[in-house]
Amino acid sequence: MIGTIARREWLAAFRTPLAWVLLAATQAVLAWILLRVLDGFTGAEPPARSAGLNLELSHNLFGSAAVLLLLIAPLLAARALSGELRDGTYQMLGAAPANLAEVLLGKFAALGALMLMLCLPPLALALALLGAAPIDPGLFLAAALGLWLAGLLFSAVGLFAASLSTQPAAATVIAYGLLILLSIVNRADHLAAEQLSLLDWLSWNQHLFWFLSGMVRVSDLAYYGLMTGLFLALAYRRLDNLRLG
Amino acid sequence: MEPLLRVRALHRRFGAKPVLRGLEFRLEPGDVLGLLGPNGAGKTTCLRVLSGNLAPSSGQVSIRGRAIAAAAARGQLGYLPERPPLYPEMRVDEYLHFCARLHRVPARAIGQAVDRVKRRCGLDQVGRRLLGKLSKGYQQRAGLAQALIHEPELVILDEPTDGLDPLQIREVRELIRDLAPSAGVIVSSHALAEVQAVCNRVIILRDGEVLHQGALPDADADNRFCVRLRHPPATAELTALSPIAVASPVFASGTSSETASAPSRFRIELADGASPDQLAAALVGSGWGLLELVPERTDLERVFFQSIDAEARP
Repeated sequence: MIGTIARREWLAAFRTPLAWVLLAATQAVLAWILLRVLDGFTGAEPPARSAGLNLELSHNLFGSAAVLLLLIAPLLAARALSGELRDGTYQMLGAAPANLAEVLLGKFAALGALMLMLCLPPLALALALLGAAPIDPGLFLAAALGLWLAGLLFSAVGLFAASLSTQPAAATVIAYGLLILLSIVNRADHLAAEQLSLLDWLSWNQHLFWFLSGMVRVSDLAYYGLMTGLFLALAYRRLDNLRLG
Repeated sequence: MEPLLRVRALHRRFGAKPVLRGLEFRLEPGDVLGLLGPNGAGKTTCLRVLSGNLAPSSGQVSIRGRAIAAAAARGQLGYLPERPPLYPEMRVDEYLHFCARLHRVPARAIGQAVDRVKRRCGLDQVGRRLLGKLSKGYQQRAGLAQALIHEPELVILDEPTDGLDPLQIREVRELIRDLAPSAGVIVSSHALAEVQAVCNRVIILRDGEVLHQGALPDADADNRFCVRLRHPPATAELTALSPIAVASPVFASGTSSETASAPSRFRIELADGASPDQLAAALVGSGWGLLELVPERTDLERVFFQSIDAEARP
């Protein structure tokens, strides 16, 4: 059942220009960033650099891709859930012999597949330099994994926001609000105490940083797993409440 | 064997506002139940509860003994909401394949099920068309097709002929009649003619409460007439005619027996064995100047307005 719902979502994304436009825009933005990074490593006298090519590429390409996913995932999630609530097609899913968790996970699986697809352009751009520069494929695979996990978290937040409103635009704005909060929450430590490790821990970009540096740590995997699970559980709760009224 | 659908003491509230109050009925295959009521009576809420989209505040809804909240119970359910649940970017064939998988039709049988339901709902010619590009009539048919693709035992249709042209309405009515022998059907409508045409049982709702429930009055009953006379006699004189069992005057709306002048219209119920031509002959023979002799409005209309009026009266 999860596969059936996910397949339909995937099809819907590619039937409309949305997924194609997002892919093209992602590719164009990242290609431009790649050229900017490479500029620093070419020419007769390269400028002083703080990091090597691998880290520069990883942080710039995958870091920018993460920001793009943060913008894209709520849009896709709102379309997948808010749109259905608004158009009444959700009632068909509600009357089908599928339980709520299957419906939600079906949509999440489709978003996960779309996020994976959007993780491929930066990976392909970085690996395109293989043979021409001393590229570390392991580093980029770790960065791609981190990027995908961040994409999954953004999707879960997007689904939770979509469960709060039947208006896709409103759901998208709610998701942006939540994600921006999760992005800057660790800045609070400048306001009060020196060390607020909990707020640091809550911030998604802190965890992505380690992936972009080529380190796959269990604590970061756990962060993305827990936070994604939390927002999916909240979305489930909210949808169940809609039924209970 | 458990009944196909059993609804017991069903209540539903939105906040403090009660929307359904104590619904209770059973449905078996072969029943076509019409859910009637004015706008805001609670029909759509009732169907949303019966389809599992809303949980009851209290009471039970079960299909073959299994609570509707269980996903397995909904395997026997086909539901067409008020607005057909269509994905405009999908083609008709893709959509029906998706619906078949959603309703757990075995993979081997999906092709056959799609062909069968397309034939049944008149979608043969539009299988490759995008749902968003179909006319309203075809969209409604596609919505019906998704509700029927898995051949459910219980079919719930919310305003199934809304927005259709007369030809399409007739086709949908025939489709519902075709379903009836093997399935129980619930049709919600505020069109009395619609319910009269396809249903054999009726529930009349108002403000979430059942005002009337029972078998549909016989649509073919032909012993009630309305007559209009140029020189109306006293009601007793009319009743004295042998073809007439009961006669009662009909007052124009807004007037009453005290204020109105002598009524020229009467509601007539024929005596056993009397025929309309005998009635006509007796009225003409009496010299009261017969102006009109028409069969009375359908019994369902009478039941509906009696129920609503009785409720409205303090």
